[in-house]
Amino acid sequence: MHEDTEQDRIAISLESVVKKYGDHTVINDVSLSVREGEVIAIIGPSGAGKSTLLRCINLLEVPDRGRITVEGNHVDAGTQISHKDLVRLRRNVGMVFQSFNLFPHMTVLRNISLPQERVLGRSRQEADARSMKLLERVGLADKAQQYPSRCSGGQQQRIAIARALALDPRVMLFDEPTSALDPEVGLEVLAVMRELAAEGMTMVVVTHEMQFARDVSDRVVVMAEGAILEEGDPADVFTAPAMDRTRKFLRAVLER
Amino acid sequence: MEHLSVVAQGVSMTLLLTLSSLLFGAIGGIPLVLARRSRLALVRFTARALIELLRGIPPLAWLFIIYFGVGTGVIELSSFAAAVIGFGLVSSAYMAEIYRGGLTAIHDGQWEASDALGLSHAATLVTIIGPQVLRVSIPAAATFAIGLLKDSSVASVIGVQDTIYWASHESTVTGDAIVPFLWAAGLYVAMTIPCAWATRLLDAKLRKRVAR
Amino acid sequence: MTFFNDWVDYFPDLLGGLGVSLQLTLVTLLIGLPAGLVLALAAGSKKRVVRVVAIGVIEVGRGTPALVVLQLFYFGLPTAGMTLTSFVAASLALAFTTAAYTSEILRGGLQAVPSGEVEAAHALGMARGDILRFVVIPQGIRIAIPPLMGFAIMVFQATSLAYTIAMPELMSQAYSIGSITFRYLSILTLAGLMYALITIPASSLSNFVEYRLARHR
Repeated sequence: MHEDTEQDRIAISLESVVKKYGDHTVINDVSLSVREGEVIAIIGPSGAGKSTLLRCINLLEVPDRGRITVEGNHVDAGTQISHKDLVRLRRNVGMVFQSFNLFPHMTVLRNISLPQERVLGRSRQEADARSMKLLERVGLADKAQQYPSRCSGGQQQRIAIARALALDPRVMLFDEPTSALDPEVGLEVLAVMRELAAEGMTMVVVTHEMQFARDVSDRVVVMAEGAILEEGDPADVFTAPAMDRTRKFLRAVLER
Repeated sequence: MEHLSVVAQGVSMTLLLTLSSLLFGAIGGIPLVLARRSRLALVRFTARALIELLRGIPPLAWLFIIYFGVGTGVIELSSFAAAVIGFGLVSSAYMAEIYRGGLTAIHDGQWEASDALGLSHAATLVTIIGPQVLRVSIPAAATFAIGLLKDSSVASVIGVQDTIYWASHESTVTGDAIVPFLWAAGLYVAMTIPCAWATRLLDAKLRKRVAR
Repeated sequence: MTFFNDWVDYFPDLLGGLGVSLQLTLVTLLIGLPAGLVLALAAGSKKRVVRVVAIGVIEVGRGTPALVVLQLFYFGLPTAGMTLTSFVAASLALAFTTAAYTSEILRGGLQAVPSGEVEAAHALGMARGDILRFVVIPQGIRIAIPPLMGFAIMVFQATSLAYTIAMPELMSQAYSIGSITFRYLSILTLAGLMYALITIPASSLSNFVEYRLARHR
């Protein structure tokens, strides 16, 4: 991995990414670039490869072909990727999962502070101060000393967002962050995400929330069968999709 | 290699002791598990206490109690008989618990269906539930048997001439205290491997056949 | 009533033996459990050689009767130039068996930690060692606690094997008193009950802990 020298405004770029599981091609030659501060919504039917694509960005899935660049650090598929390369690339990327994935044996505060101490080398006081500030921001300062199991799903997801933000990422990935939540609980999570978008965070969001995609994203990417079907301004994609397949998908989702 | 031929003399005794104790336990476990599920609280309690005691006292202690305690004061017992009784009793307790696990694995619907057919409780137990319990218990029983095979080595302490007995004997006679024991270890491993292998096979087969 | 008289007379002697048995159990676990954790981690290693060696050690340790290992350590090692006291030999031999068995229990525990949490830790950029230390091991051990307690009870029972290497634990004490007084039945029964006095409450405790941990997950 190398530091790119020229200052471009591209935060993330995927070039000709291919990912296979055995004989099955999950991502078929996908290229995508995301500008600094841009909010991208990835939508599409299940099994389209949306989550896999997202997980390729921070290399939770290592692609079989292609190049991934995040904030100037790039990794080429097919070459030996060292743990150092992984850590360097992931340092700029925060991720939020569908199933929250908080550490159940640590308090909420420890969940947010421990990674700061281990990854960024912050002192405990420094880390805790930062954690408290973020907990206040997501409206959960009173939960600091609780264990995650004592928090609702919506609260856990907001904590997970705080945990990711605590490492000062320049890019945030969201993998269906509200799919495991009741609709009204999902709203509190979406509110936090809206705020984050308004502050200029670069975000890539895999979602089934069409309202969120339409209102908040700068660009919508529609995926099907491991490829990008079309992408564009949400107003265009939602009102006048170019592809028949997109139209069918949107009708099915919106009529539910 | 001469060591091996001496040590291997004990293999048949190890197998004989293990199988006899297992058979004792497989049969002895049945009344114990029935008592453990009795409608009478006193019977239930007694069975449970017995199971706990049999499992809670080390096998070596049981062998000593039976061989030296009962065997010298009450009735004369050979070391082999004492070992079979001791391991058989301990096995009964473990087998009872294995059967109990098997019983809970049988679907309640089968009791109800038998009830609806007008079968008595006893008839249902003997003809419907019992055979299935025995069948689902086989994998756990096989795992237990592998443990028993290794534990049976303890019988050498009261003079049963099994594999480790001959290893000790050979090491005293030749003064080599390493190789005979390594052979013994190898023989025990060799005896357990086919057991473990057969267990896995049986487990896979039975899983398909029993309704739960 | 001689039974009970014997019990009253020889209880103090047996109590000393019980103390030795408990000490041996404790030392065995203190050596065997960490070794078991190392084996468990090695058995899940990415390096093939490490994995194969670890699994080999585990299989041999589980396949060999504890009594054979004990004889080998106590009688065999001196001929190779390492003389051990019976206590040290018994601790090491039982610890070897313990490590092999508990490594399987611990491996099950480590594998039961949800993969999503490990993934989240990776996504946070945590180093592999840190993920093991802070996320996987603490939770894996917690999951493994009830079966480990069950195994600790088996270790306590297995200390009776040290009788064969002349260690003054409960079984040896009972046997030697029996052989002097010829009151085998009463004294050996008392010894057996003393084992049960420890193992039965201990296994109830382990059931209780299992129930509590299951409820709080």
